[in-house]
Amino acid sequence: MHATIQKPIQEIVKYIKPGEKVFVIGCNNCAWKCHSGGVDETKMMAERLARRGIEVVGYTVPGPQGMSLCKLDHTEKVLKEDFADMVAKADSFLVLSCGQGVHTVIDATGGGMVHPGCDTIFGGETVSTTDIEEFCSLCGECVIEFTGGLCPMTLCSKQLLNGPCGGAEKGKCEVDSERNCGWVMIYERLKKLGRLELLDPYQKPKNHAKWSRPRSLKVSTTEATFSSQAGKVTVSNQE
Amino acid sequence: MKLTELFDKGEFVVTGEIGPIKGAINRDKSIHPTCAKEARSLHGHVHAVNVTDNQSAVMRLGSLAASVALKQQGIEPVYQLTCRDRNRIALQSDLLTAYSLGIDNVLLLTGDHIQLGDHKEAKPVFDLDSVQLLSMAMGLRKGHDITGHPIENPPDMAYGAVVNPNFEPLELQLLKMRKKIDAGAEFFQTQAVYDLEVFETFMNEAVKLGVPVQVGLVVLKSPQMGRFMNANVSGITVPSMWIEEIGSVDKDDRKKKAAEMMGNFLRQIKPMVQGVHIMPLGWADVVPSILETAEISIQ
Ligand code: SF4
Ligand code: SF4
Repeated sequence: MHATIQKPIQEIVKYIKPGEKVFVIGCNNCAWKCHSGGVDETKMMAERLARRGIEVVGYTVPGPQGMSLCKLDHTEKVLKEDFADMVAKADSFLVLSCGQGVHTVIDATGGGMVHPGCDTIFGGETVSTTDIEEFCSLCGECVIEFTGGLCPMTLCSKQLLNGPCGGAEKGKCEVDSERNCGWVMIYERLKKLGRLELLDPYQKPKNHAKWSRPRSLKVSTTEATFSSQAGKVTVSNQE
Repeated sequence: MKLTELFDKGEFVVTGEIGPIKGAINRDKSIHPTCAKEARSLHGHVHAVNVTDNQSAVMRLGSLAASVALKQQGIEPVYQLTCRDRNRIALQSDLLTAYSLGIDNVLLLTGDHIQLGDHKEAKPVFDLDSVQLLSMAMGLRKGHDITGHPIENPPDMAYGAVVNPNFEPLELQLLKMRKKIDAGAEFFQTQAVYDLEVFETFMNEAVKLGVPVQVGLVVLKSPQMGRFMNANVSGITVPSMWIEEIGSVDKDDRKKKAAEMMGNFLRQIKPMVQGVHIMPLGWADVVPSILETAEISIQ
């Protein structure tokens, strides 16, 4: 999921010009889990803006719980069919979701003016209803086969691929004595699994062209094509 | 002169260390930067002087400029190069530049993280890790860049690496050390050690790898410094015994005391290693007496 956190209201208010009419849109999937843009927070945002003298023409969180704002066809349908009047009155859209959702609203409104209501902070695991943690940095070339599934690109502050730096102390990272050293975690896990030999081979430098931005994915039921600066890669799910 | 030639001859290799100034080298040479003065007081007592690369991620004069300045004064530099601020293009280019400017010895490291320094909002690079950097340097020596393109006049320098004997679990640090050797590391300088037993345990394993090791010593200047390192410098532990001993004498006598403590410690370690790397952190003038106490003199 995409972890998001609301921007401070003082900052959001500054985005909106005097007299600007705003429609507030949340997301019923990731932002709902983060309490940054679910049904409650979106309604509340409309009220918070109104209390500050901003004209809110409407608000919505498209679809049932679990529906992502970033699913363009759905969001477009909701905004164009169910909220057409309010959308027509709006000068801008305040979007409580990740940056993908903000772009979805641009697409769904035919290029409407948008304001981001959240900072998108990482892709994470929903460890519990109150805890979201980052385990993958979306690098485009997964190397965690040799690290027991723990990502050195994410859990090691220096993204080292061939073992730890010299800075860890008592299992904690040199950057933050509160946080476990990713490489000590990888080592402990593989030791427990009896698979330490996985660490022996030299790991070549990453192909950062696969981590270029923006990237795209074209999918069908039988194959997918990933495009990045490293070129196009098509993989079948049938063979 | 490559340090590897000295190791090959069986010499006990002694290196010191200076940190370039935060500022530029004065052009009319009327002011000598403190680091140059330190290097001069090491001259004649050590084989070479390491020049740190924006050490602790604090922005300073470049290690290459300072290394070349030392070379011009007849002091052999060990040019330190880290992965923190350079991608693979910059790293290779800097290695070619270093060789072109007369550098013979390079120490290749990952580098301290940006969060430890004075530019915390900078983008950390870490395009390569130190093992990949060593492997890339070996490629240049063999005549090709990391993508396989041939290069003209391949650089031939001695490549060292670092290892931390204090690391727990040690087995993991040794794995990294092995990978560095496989990648091409020709000698090692260790992180600062203060514990004989810890170092012995490390050397019992490291000796099997068959690559020369220089024990790293950071001159303990005061009890405050010991406590500061324990609280703030990851990967180094100063035992309370050391802190008490340096604190047992008046400020004015601390240089003498430090030389005696470091020297005695080094004398015990000497038989286990092929050299010593002394990091005097501004007290370059105590290095000669440390070496004298340890009964070490260079040829
Ligand atoms: S290696 Fe890349 S894709 Fe795999 S978990 Fe890490 S960041 Fe994600
Ligand atoms: S201490 Fe561990 S997690 Fe932190 S940078 Fe070093 S190897 Fe990576």
